[in-house]
Amino acid sequence: MDLLTLQGLLMTGLLRGGLYALMAVGLALVFGVMNICHFAHGEYYVLGAYAAFFAHVTWGLHPAIAILVAAVLSFLAGAVSEKLLFYPLRKLNQSGWVMNAFLLTAGLSVVLQSTYRLAFGTKYRGITQYWNASVTLFGMTVAADRLVAFGIALVTISGLWLFLQKTPTGRAIRAVSQDERGAMLMGIDLDRIQTLTFALGSMLAGIGGASLLSLSPAYPYAGSKPLISSWFVVTIAGLGNIYGAVVGGFIVGLFESVSYFALGQGWQEVASLLLLMLLLLFKPTGLFGTNIKTVWE
Amino acid sequence: MESGLQHRPRTPPRRRSLLRAWLSAWGLSPVFVVGVALLALAPLWARDAYLQRLLVVSLYFGALAMTFDFTGGFINAVNFGFAGFVGLGAYVATLVVRNAELSAWVGLPAAALATGLVGFLTGLLTLPLRGIYVSLMSWFVGMTLMALAGALKDVTRGARGLVVPPMAEGITTLGYLYVLLVMAVALYLLLHRIIRSRAGLAFRAVGQNFDAACASGVDPTRYKLLNFTLSCACAGFLGGFYAHFVGIVTPAIMDTSYTMEVMTLSFIGGSGSLLGGVVASFLLIPIFDSLKYLMEYRLIIYGLMLILVMIFYPAGLYGLYQTAAQALRQRFQRR
Repeated sequence: MDLLTLQGLLMTGLLRGGLYALMAVGLALVFGVMNICHFAHGEYYVLGAYAAFFAHVTWGLHPAIAILVAAVLSFLAGAVSEKLLFYPLRKLNQSGWVMNAFLLTAGLSVVLQSTYRLAFGTKYRGITQYWNASVTLFGMTVAADRLVAFGIALVTISGLWLFLQKTPTGRAIRAVSQDERGAMLMGIDLDRIQTLTFALGSMLAGIGGASLLSLSPAYPYAGSKPLISSWFVVTIAGLGNIYGAVVGGFIVGLFESVSYFALGQGWQEVASLLLLMLLLLFKPTGLFGTNIKTVWE
Repeated sequence: MESGLQHRPRTPPRRRSLLRAWLSAWGLSPVFVVGVALLALAPLWARDAYLQRLLVVSLYFGALAMTFDFTGGFINAVNFGFAGFVGLGAYVATLVVRNAELSAWVGLPAAALATGLVGFLTGLLTLPLRGIYVSLMSWFVGMTLMALAGALKDVTRGARGLVVPPMAEGITTLGYLYVLLVMAVALYLLLHRIIRSRAGLAFRAVGQNFDAACASGVDPTRYKLLNFTLSCACAGFLGGFYAHFVGIVTPAIMDTSYTMEVMTLSFIGGSGSLLGGVVASFLLIPIFDSLKYLMEYRLIIYGLMLILVMIFYPAGLYGLYQTAAQALRQRFQRR
C-alpha cells in the first residue's frame, strides 16, 4: 500500500466517521436517557434524505435551507413518534421496558420503511452535488460536499454538546440520563424531556441523511447500512455513552474503510464482527463504557 | 393490587385425573391435539395443491415462531439474527446434500449442529451480559452470515443462489407436510418437556427477574446458553427443511424482515406460550396469501400489529385464550 492510497483511506475513513459519529450520538442519547435500543434510527436518516431531496430538487431551495428543513422535519417526526408510541408504552406497561421498547422500534422501522416504499416507490432519489466545487487537501481532491457534510456533522455534535452542557434543558436531559427518579424529584418534567430527547436523536439522524444526499441517494431501505454501522459504533463505545460515540464513530469509520480496502465486501463484515467479539471478550462494557445507568430491564 | 389479592375468592384445588396430569405434562392441550389431528387428516380435506402448500408454509412459520418464543418468551432474550440462523441451516443442509452427496437425513442434523454451534458461540460471548447484548450481537452475526453468503461465490454462487434437490425421490407437497408435521411435533414435545423441567423453571426465573434468579442460586449464563443454543439449532433444522421444500436458497432468506415476521407471529401468539405463534401463523399467513392485494402491505400490517400488541395487549392470543378459558371455567363452577 503506497502513501497515497493510505492517505485516501484515512480521508474516506475520517469523513465516513463523521457521519457515524453523528448517527451514533443520536442512538447513544436515546439509549442513555430513555433506555430505548433504537432500531428505527435509520428510518429518520432516510426521512431526512427524502426531505432534503424534495426541498432542494422539487422546491429548488438553497442546500443549507434544504438541510435545515430536513432537520426540522425529522425533529418533528421524532417528537410525534415518541408521543404516539413510547409515551403510551411507558404508561401502560412498565415491566420489561428495554425489550418491549426495542421490539416497538423494530415494528416502527418496518412500518416506516414500507410507508416510504408505498409513498415514494423504490426509485433512488439522489443529486449529483449540492455545491459544485472540490478542494485539494494534502495533494488529494475531495468533493466539497463531503467536507461540508463532515463540517455539518462536527458543528451539530458541538452544538449538541453546548446544549447539553450549558442550557438548563440540556442539564435536565443529562440529569434524567443519570438518575430518572432523582431528576423527577427535582421537578424535571420527565415526559417533556423524553419527547425532546427522542426528537433530538431523530434530528441528528435526519441531518446525517440530508447532508449526505449527494453521496448516498434516498430510497426506502437506505437506512439499514447507517443503522448497522452506528449500532456497531455504540456497542463498541459503550451503550449510552454520548461522548464515547463520537470517538467510536471515527474509529469505526477508519476501521471500515481500511478493512474494506484490504478484505472486500463480505469479509469486511467478518472483520467488524471479530473486532466486536474481541471487545466483548475483554471489555464487555465497551471502550468508554461506564455504569452511569443501572436501569436495564 | 392489594385489594384484588384479598378479595379474590378462594377456589378449592381441583382434583385432576391421572390422564389429565399426564396430558398436561406432555403439553398435549386440546388446541394441540385438534391441530395435529386436522393436519394429519389433511389429505381428506385439503386436496388442492395450493392449500397443501399453504399448510406447509403456515406450519413452517409457526414452528419458527415456536422456537423463537422458546428464547424470547422464556429467557427474555430476543434473537434478532434469527433469519440469519435459519439461513445458515438452509445453506449447510444444501451444501451437505449437494457437495457431499449425502441424503437430507444427514443434511438436516448437520444444519442443526452448525447453527447450534454458531448460536453457542454467540451466546457464550453475550449471554453473561444483559439481555440486549445478545439481540445486538445475534443481529450482527445474522448480517455477517448474509454478507458472507453473498460474497463466497465459489461456495454459494452468491445472489444467484443454490438449487436444492428434493428431500426424497418424487416427494409430494403432502409428503413435505407430513415430514414437517413430524418435525414440528417432535420439536414441540422436546421444547415443552424442557420448559416443564427444572431447567424451564430456571429459564422463567432468569427471564422474569434476573437479579432474584441470581440471588436464588440459579446460574443464569448456563441456562441461558442452553436455551439459546437449542433454539438456534432448531432454527437451523427448520431452515434445512425449508431449503428442500422451496428448492432454492439465496442470501435473501437471511434478511432481517424474516426475523421481523417470525418475531411478530410469536408476539401476537403470546410470548411464553410456544403454541401461540403457531396459531397466529395459521391465522395470518393464509389471510395474507389469499388476499393478494394485501401482500404489498404485508410488512406494514405486521409492523403495526407488533406495535399495537406490544403497547396494548402484550399477552397476545395466548392471553386472550387464557382469559376466555378462565371466564368459562368460572361460569361452570358457579352453576
